[in-house]
Amino acid sequence: MSIGEVLVIGGGIAGIQAAIDLADMGFKVYLVERKPSIGGRMAQLDKTFPTLDCASCILAPKMAEVARNPNIEIISNADVISLVREKSGVFKATIKKYPRYVDEAKCTGCKACVEKCPAKDKLGAPDEFNEGLSMRKAVYIPFPQALPLKAIIDPNICLYFKLKSCRLCEKVCPTGAINFNDIEKIINLYVNAVIVATGYKFVDPRHPALSLYGYGKYPNVYTNIEFERLLDARGPTGGVLLRRSDKRHPKRIVFIQCVGSRDYRINPYCSAYCCMASIKQAILAKEHDPEVDTVILYMDIRAFGKGFQEFYERAIEEFKIKFIRGRPVKIIEDDKTKNLIVAYEDTLKGTIEKIEADMVVLALGIVPNTPAFLADLGLIEDGRPKTLDPQDPIATPIEGIYVAGMITGPKDIPDSVAQGSAAAVRAATYAISRREVVAYAR
Amino acid sequence: MRSIRVNPNLMTIFEMLGASSIRKCFDCGACTVTCPFSEEYGGEPFPRRIIKYVKLGVEDKLVASLEPWLCYHCGDCSDSCPKGADPSEILAAARRYLIIKYDFTGRVSRFLHLTNYGWLIGILILATITLLIGLIFRGPIISDRTMLETFAPVIVVDTAGLIVFAVLAIFVLLNVYRMYKFTVGSLKGIPLSIAVKELVEIPKHFLTQVKLSRCSFRSFYFIHLMIFYGYALSFILFVPLLRFTLTNEPFLFKHPLSILGIISTILFLIGLFYIIRGRLEKKHHVWKYSHTSDWVYIWLLALVVVSGILTGIFRTLDYPLPTYIMFALHIILAACFLVLMVPFSKWSHLAYRPFAIYFARLKMIKGSGVHV
Repeated sequence: MSIGEVLVIGGGIAGIQAAIDLADMGFKVYLVERKPSIGGRMAQLDKTFPTLDCASCILAPKMAEVARNPNIEIISNADVISLVREKSGVFKATIKKYPRYVDEAKCTGCKACVEKCPAKDKLGAPDEFNEGLSMRKAVYIPFPQALPLKAIIDPNICLYFKLKSCRLCEKVCPTGAINFNDIEKIINLYVNAVIVATGYKFVDPRHPALSLYGYGKYPNVYTNIEFERLLDARGPTGGVLLRRSDKRHPKRIVFIQCVGSRDYRINPYCSAYCCMASIKQAILAKEHDPEVDTVILYMDIRAFGKGFQEFYERAIEEFKIKFIRGRPVKIIEDDKTKNLIVAYEDTLKGTIEKIEADMVVLALGIVPNTPAFLADLGLIEDGRPKTLDPQDPIATPIEGIYVAGMITGPKDIPDSVAQGSAAAVRAATYAISRREVVAYAR
Repeated sequence: MRSIRVNPNLMTIFEMLGASSIRKCFDCGACTVTCPFSEEYGGEPFPRRIIKYVKLGVEDKLVASLEPWLCYHCGDCSDSCPKGADPSEILAAARRYLIIKYDFTGRVSRFLHLTNYGWLIGILILATITLLIGLIFRGPIISDRTMLETFAPVIVVDTAGLIVFAVLAIFVLLNVYRMYKFTVGSLKGIPLSIAVKELVEIPKHFLTQVKLSRCSFRSFYFIHLMIFYGYALSFILFVPLLRFTLTNEPFLFKHPLSILGIISTILFLIGLFYIIRGRLEKKHHVWKYSHTSDWVYIWLLALVVVSGILTGIFRTLDYPLPTYIMFALHIILAACFLVLMVPFSKWSHLAYRPFAIYFARLKMIKGSGVHV
C-alpha cells in the first residue's frame, strides 16, 4: 500500500465526482459499487431539474472520465463487508466481490451473448434498471452506457445454473469471456482514507401506512422512479407514456407528493428532491403529449435551489400544470376502466374534491442508505451518518472517513456533486497529512 | 364588515383540555378526506376546520360550530394523520371546550375542567352537602334486621331524586338552548312544520346512536350501547319506579323488577370493563388519551354501579349496617356523578349529540351548510 490510496464506496454521482477529483490529484482510487455498473440512480433519470437537461448527457462524460482515468480502479458487483481502522491508522476494507460469471478482462461488451440468451420474457427477470417495468435476460448488460461495459450472468434464472444445459453464451462469445466456474472473492484493501457515498433508498410504497394508495394492487399507480423510466427514451416503452393496465396513453396524471415523507409513521423528514422531481415529470409528460392534464397534490412546494422557484412558476404559467394543496389518503380504482379516483381536501379552498385519473404517480420519500459497516463503527445515528460538527456534514467522528451525497441527507444532483468534490479534498488533505506518519512507520 | 376577536391562548387551553399534539398539525387535510361524515354534511372540511379555528384562536367561530358533536370519535382520522397530531383527540378537546362554553353558569364547568384539583374540590363539596342532607333526613337505624326503607324513607329519597332530576333537566335544557343560540341562532328561513318534523332525529339518535355503527372500530359501538342501556334501565328502575325498588323487603332475586336491575348491572359491568381496560391499554385511538374528566366520569360511574350492587347483595344477605353504609355511599356517589357530570361535563354529550344532529339538519335546510 502506498500513502496515496483512497477508497470510495458507492458509484453514484457523488462517488464518481469524488473518485475523479482524487484521481486527478494523483491518488489511486478504488471505486466500489454494489451493482454491476456504476452510475447510480442518476443513470436511471431521463432529465434533470430545473434545466431539463438530459441526465445522461451530464453523467456519461463523467463516467467516461472514470473509465479513462488510470488512477481509478472500479470494483463493481461488490459489497464492503467490513471497515476497520488498524493501529497504524490505516483502514482495512474487506470487500466481497460477487461472481459475474464473465471475465471482465476478456469481455468487450459486444452483446453477442445477450442476443443469443434464451432466458427471456417469462424465463427472464424483472429489469432492475427499468424498475421491473420490462424483463431482462439471464445474461445482460445493465444499460447501454454501463461502466464497466461488461456482461453479467444472473445465476437465479440462467438455464445452465437451473438445468445444467444451454451454455449458448459460452459458444457465441468471441473472446471466451464466459466463466461458469466464477466464484465469490474476498478482496482486502488497505487505504488511507475512505469516502462513503452509498446514496439512498426509497421508502417502501407497500408500507402499511401507505397501503390505501394501492401501489402493487392497482396497475396504474406508479412510483416516480417507474414514471421516470417510462419517460426515458431508453426505457421500457421507448419513451412513450403507456398505462400498465391497457397500454393506452394516460390523459390525466395525478402526482401525489410527500408519499412516505413528513410522515411520523414512516419517515418524518422532508425528502427535498420530490417537489422539483414531480414538477419536472409533469412538464415532461406535457412535452410528451400536450393534451395530458397534470395535477400535483402537494403539501408545500419547497423550491429552495438555484432556478427552482422560476421552474415552479414556469410549470404553472407555461405548462398549465395544476397545483392543489392537499394530501389524499386513499385511492379507489374503477373496476372496469382501471381509472383511479383520488379524493382530497383542497386545503386552500376548504372543500372536499375528487379527481378521476388515468395514472397516479407517487413521489416516494427517500432515506439514506446506511451500510452495515458504518453502523459497526458506531457512525450511524437516527438513520444518518454521525458527523463531528453539525456545520460540517462531510466529516465523521473518525478522522479519515468522510461521507458525501444522499447518505448525508436528501439533496439534488448539484449538491451531491459538490459534496463529492468536498469529500475528495478532505480525504486528500487527510491522506497527505499522514505522509510523515507512514514514512516513520516504515 | 364584522370584526373577529382572536384569543391567542386558545391553543394552550386546548392543550389543557387534552389536545396535546395540536401544534403538530400542518393542515394537510388527510383527516378531512378520511372522515366518513365529511361528505354527509355537504363536503365540509370536517376535523380540519375545527383545528384551524383553534390554531387561529377564533373562539366565536368555534362556539358556533356543530362539528365537534357530529364527530363520534372513531379515531380513523388519527390513524391517517401523517404528523401524529391526533385530530380525533382535538375534536374531543373541542367537545370539552364547548361543554364549558354552553355552561349557563359560565363558571362551574370551567372550574372543574381547567383548575387544578377542580374535580376533587367539586366532589368533596357535593359529597359533604349530600351527607349533611342525609344525616338530617335519615330514619332510625334498626340493627337487628335490614330495614332499608326505614333508614332511608322512600318519600325523602324519591322527593330528593325528583328535585335533582328536575333541576338537572332544566340545567341541561338551558345549556342546549345556549347551544341553539350559538349555532343555529334563529329559525328564520325554516318552515315550522319542517322544524317540527325534523325533531324525530333527536330521539332516533339518542336511542340508537346509529352513526357510531359506521365506525371502523365496530365493537366500540356495542360497548357504548351497553353503557347507555345499562344507564337507561337503572334510571327507569330507580327514579320513576323507586317506590317499588326502595322497600324494606329484600329486592334482589325476590321482586320481579329485580330482573331489570340484574340486566342493567350486567350491561354496565361488561361495558365498563371494556372501556377501563381499553383506556388502560391505550391501543385504540378512541382510548389512547384519557383526560381527567374521562377518568372521573368512568370511575364515578363504576363506583356508583359497584356500590349499588353491593347494597343489593348486603340487603339480600340481611347485613343491616353494611347495607345502610353502602346505600349512603351509593347515594353520595350518585349525587356527585349526576350533579357534576350531567350539566357540566361529559354526561352532557348524551343531550348535545342528538341535538347537534337536529341543529345540523336545520342549518342544512336553511341552506347555509352545517357551517355559519
